[in-house]
Parts: sequence; C-alpha cells; structure tokens
Amino acid sequence: MGGSPPFRRYERTQMTKVLLIEDDDETAEEISAELTGRGFEVEWSSNGIEGLDKARSLRPDALIVDRLLPGMDGLAIVDTLRKDQVRTPVLVLSALGAVNDRVRGLRMGGDDYLTKPFAVVELVARIEALLRRPSESRETILRVGQLELDLIERTAKRGERDIDLLPREFRLLEYMMRRSDQLLTRAMLLEEVWNYKFVPTTNLVDVHMGRVRHKVDLPGEAPMIHNVRGAGFILRTVDQFG
Amino acid sequence: MLQVQFLRSNTFRWASAVAGLFATFVVILFGFIYFNIDAYLVERSDGVLNTQVAFLASLPFEHSVRAIEDHLRQDDRGVRFAGLFDPNGKRLAGNLEQLPKDIKLGAPPLTVRVERSAGRQSADPLIRAAARRLENGNIVLVGRNVDETWEISHVVGEALVLGLLPAFCLCLLAGAWLSLRAQRRVEEVNQRVRRIVAGDLRERLPHRDVDEPFSRLAAIVNGMLNEMETMINALSGVGNDIAHELRTPLTRARLILERGRSNATSLEELQAAADKTVAGIDQALSIVTALLRLADIENSRRFAAFGSVVLPDLLRQVYDIYEPIAEDKQISLSVGIAGNLEVRGDRDLLFEAIVNLVDNAVKFTPEGGKVAIELAQAEKGAVVRVTDTGPGIPRQETEAVLRRFYRSDKVRHTPGVGLGLNLVAAIVKLHGFRLMIHPGPGGCIEILCPDRRLDRAARANAVSCAA
Repeated sequence: MGGSPPFRRYERTQMTKVLLIEDDDETAEEISAELTGRGFEVEWSSNGIEGLDKARSLRPDALIVDRLLPGMDGLAIVDTLRKDQVRTPVLVLSALGAVNDRVRGLRMGGDDYLTKPFAVVELVARIEALLRRPSESRETILRVGQLELDLIERTAKRGERDIDLLPREFRLLEYMMRRSDQLLTRAMLLEEVWNYKFVPTTNLVDVHMGRVRHKVDLPGEAPMIHNVRGAGFILRTVDQFG
Repeated sequence: MLQVQFLRSNTFRWASAVAGLFATFVVILFGFIYFNIDAYLVERSDGVLNTQVAFLASLPFEHSVRAIEDHLRQDDRGVRFAGLFDPNGKRLAGNLEQLPKDIKLGAPPLTVRVERSAGRQSADPLIRAAARRLENGNIVLVGRNVDETWEISHVVGEALVLGLLPAFCLCLLAGAWLSLRAQRRVEEVNQRVRRIVAGDLRERLPHRDVDEPFSRLAAIVNGMLNEMETMINALSGVGNDIAHELRTPLTRARLILERGRSNATSLEELQAAADKTVAGIDQALSIVTALLRLADIENSRRFAAFGSVVLPDLLRQVYDIYEPIAEDKQISLSVGIAGNLEVRGDRDLLFEAIVNLVDNAVKFTPEGGKVAIELAQAEKGAVVRVTDTGPGIPRQETEAVLRRFYRSDKVRHTPGVGLGLNLVAAIVKLHGFRLMIHPGPGGCIEILCPDRRLDRAARANAVSCAA
C-alpha cells in the first residue's frame, strides 16, 4: 500500500473497454466523451441487435445499455447474454421508473440500473463500481490502510485506536472499505447501505457520513474519508505518513 | 313509444306469463273441485236409489204402485223417475214410457237414457237408474236426473269468472305498472348516463334511501362517479400545477445562466453560474421524478411484492436513520413500540411512507422540539403514529395537504417538492390502509393498518369458542 500515490484516481493495468448501446446520438456522444476522458475505450452501437452482436464479438469489460432501443429491448439484451453465459457487468439506463420486479432482479444479479436523467458523475461512479465488483472473499477482516474492520467481532480499529461504531455506521464503513478508492455517490450509498429505493429530500447520507468521519478521522490524523463536491464520497488509502 | 315499449319489456312479459300460469292453476283447481263434488253427489244419489229400489221391491204389488205414484208426486223439480214394468218391459206404473234398453237388473245404479211417458220435456234425459226384478217377474226401476250437477258447474263457472278475470287483469296491470316504472327509471338513468358521457361529470343517477336493488346499484355507480370526478378534476388540475412548478426552477436556471454568460469575468464565476443552473434543473427533474414515482405507485396493481412486514423492525430502522439528523437539529426523536405487530404489504413502500412522515416531522419541527414515532395496537390492527411539536397542519388544511404540490404558506421557504404526503397517501391507499391527518397545533399523522389476518384469526377463535 505504501507504493501507490495517495491521489491516484483509478487503477487499471490496461484500457478498459466499455460498450455503449444507446439510440440517442447526443446522449451517447456525451457519455462516450466523458468515459473516454476518464481513460475508457468506448464502443458505441445505436441499436439493440447490432449491440448484442458487438457484446458477443468485442468482449467488452462492461456494457451500458439503454432500456428502450430500436430492434431489441435493453433488458432482453441482458437476458440473452446471461443465457449465453456471458457474465459481463451491465448498467441499464432508462427513463422508466425503478419500481419493477425485473429491475429488482437486475440489481440482485449484480448489475445496475440508472434512471434517466442522471448526472455524468453518477454514471461513471456506477461503471467503476461494476468493473470493480468486490470479490466474494471469505476474509473476515477488512483492511484499508490503517483501518481494520473485524466482521465477526463487529469491531473497528484505526491503527491501535478502537473505533466505537453503531450498527448502521459499521455497515456504511464496511461498504466503503469493500470499495476503497472508488467514488461512491449518495444514491449508491442510499441504495446499498440504507436499502432506499428512492431519494429523500433530507441530506441523510451527509449526516451519517459526518458521524462516521468524526470517528474515523480524528483531528490531526490524515483524513481517509473524502467528500467529492457535488458527487459523493471516497474512502482513500493513506499510509501512516500520508 | 314508451307505451308500446313496456309491452315488449321483460318485466311485462314475466308478469303476463305469471298471470297466465296463475289462471291455469285456478282453472285446474276449480275443475278438480267441480268433478269431486259431481262424483260425490252421484255417489250419494246412487245410495238413495239403491235403498229406494230395495224398499219398492219389498212392497206387495198394490202398495208399490201407490208408493211409486207418491214418490213421483213429491217431486217438485221433476228429477225423480220411477216405473213398474211387467216381465216383458211393458209399463204398469210410473213416469217412464218403457224400460230403458241398456238397464241391468240387480246391478248398482247406471247412467241410462230414458223416455218420459208424459213427454213434458222434449229431450230424453240421461239419468242414474237402478232396477230390480220382483218375485212375480215384474221389474221395478228408480231413477234420478243428475243433470243438477250442471247447476253446480254453472255456479263454479260463475265463481271462476268473477274471481279469475279480475285477478288476471290485476296481474297484467301490476305487470304493466312495474314494467312502466322500471322503464321510466331505466330511461331516466339512460338520459343521465348520456349526459355524463357527453361530459357533464356532476350528473348522478337517481336513488332513494331505501334498501332496494336498483337504489343500491345507483348508489354504487354514484360512488364510482364521485371517485372519477375527483380523479378527473385532479388530473386536469395537475397539468397546470406541473407546468407551474416546473417553470419556477427553470426560470431561475435560465436567469442565472443568462446573467452568468454575459457578466462572468472568470472561469470560476462561469462555473459557479453553471453549478447554480444545474441545481435549478435538478430541482425541476426531481419534480418530474417524484411525479413519475407517484404515478408508478398509484397505477401499481401488483401485489407480488406483498409479504409480511414486521412493523417494529421497520420503525426502528427509520429511527436509526433519522436519529442523527434529528440530533443535528436538536430535536429529540423517540420511538415507542407496543406489541409485535405485522401487516401484509410491500416493505419498501411502507418504509418509504414512514420515512416521508418522519422526514416531514423533523423538517418542520423547530429546534428543541420533539418528534415521536409510535406503534400502537388498536381495535382492529396496528396504528403507526408520527407526532411532532411543530406547527402541525391547521384544520382547514388537513385535506388540502393531500393535493399535489400543496405547500402551506408557512413552509414555503423549506426545501421540498410538495408531493411527500401524496406519495404517503398513494402507498397507504395501495395497501388498503387509512391515512389520518389530525389538525394542529403539533403534527399528528396516523396510518391505520387494519389487519385482515387478525380478523380471520378472531373469527376462527369465535368459531372454536362456539364449538
């Protein structure tokens, strides 16, 4: 952990290839420009059938699929790929609401669903999260930098210092530690940590995050939890002298 | 047209059929009575004839002639017949010209045609007669005209006509009246429905406050129309409201963008303007999102996601989430749970509803106030109650708050879209629960969850107790 620079954003050994299947030219252009700018290699396809072909032949690392497409429904593409044992993570975009069983199924299957309109940061954060899905490790102790979380004893430590966490704070920290150095948006946290299927008006996430941050980062310690303005939060690995 | 139509109406046809059936039964009944009386009279007169023949046969010749004459003389109505004939059938005494050909001697009385000696009547009457051979070879015969049963049939017939005809007519009249009445009501309903179809949504079906099928139907239809009217009115209002609500943040965004474009002197200033614009657009979008979600829930008729929801867990979870937020605002948030209550429902939606109520309560309660989440056991199920020490909802606004975009003037400055309670109401309605908004001061909103399983269990209990 000591070797990597503290403010490195994403760590990738080779170009990550993302296939975007979206029929609206302008939306597609914006998305691919943003992703290309962040170091992704983007393939674009404007209809469902061609998109499905490309998904099979190009072997992308992730797919972004619009739900309403000429030729084929976005969810049908996901179904077809899954039947062919293609496990590529998929992010489905849609203007349709998310109170739907099929969407619930999508999320259970490890894929993600984003309702239009969305912020670009949100899209990128979710693609990052899909690409770096935490492995199903059997580890019972999570470690990020000095931070240590014992999943069995339900205890947390930063270095030698014990951190006293409430159950919900523990869950939040666990989620963040499994996705360290990743941007986590408020919507992602609400869905995953609080099981919210909707976005409340109150700044829930900030209040809870504030509590956890007060406990994790004491004055004088190098901050680990960072607030990314207008986007969300990142738990960054810092070494002792960071 | 109405007059002809009622003849063809179903009601009238039924009435006619019933009248016809009734008449047939009455005719059969009267016929039965007639034939029984007839048979009874014939049997009785046959008995008398037997006695008389036996009596005449026992008398010596001289006496029997006189007895026959006496017997005939006492007959005012001319229904008695008697005769004494020699062995060859020649008349010796009585009012018969000759011995009837088909008479059987010594047999029980028979119906035979006879010829009168006096010829008082033109027709040869048909009578019941019994005859017997005497010891001296003569034959004695006694008969009786049973044509009087015709009189009975006459009386019966008269009674039939006097009773049946009016009854039949009454039936038809009643049928006609009922049919006409039904026709009128249907016609009235038709007219009103036509007016409703034409767009007059305030029209209602006529109904009286009596427990009668037609009125009940009308009441149900009227209830449906009420609901539809409210819905349609709400719908037409919503279009305007949405336009208005969207316009506000969009106008703001446009102004900021325009001013930023012409006035910004540095990249930072332009970025600040862009940020503000994005915020404005985000607010407009959040309105759209909230509306879509509301429509999603209101149109949802699927209960697939319904399961058993443990309310105490749900409330504790909401408490967990809001406790730090309340603390930040220096509001004391408490949760009080009485009993382990479960309801059938969609866990996520119920969670959302309660979160909305608590969110509102925390938002509108001033610093130092109190917000309480309570779960209580009521008579017929569970009550989720969220109370606060904030201003609450004034009595005159308890209904208005359920209107889309309604925001009390006092809270205009607090952020929000004005759809929160709509959402709660929609979720509550989907579950078949009830939302109670109690007027202030102090907020108090309740969700009444009648537990249907509880009902069933109670009924099962009652049954087992009875057993």
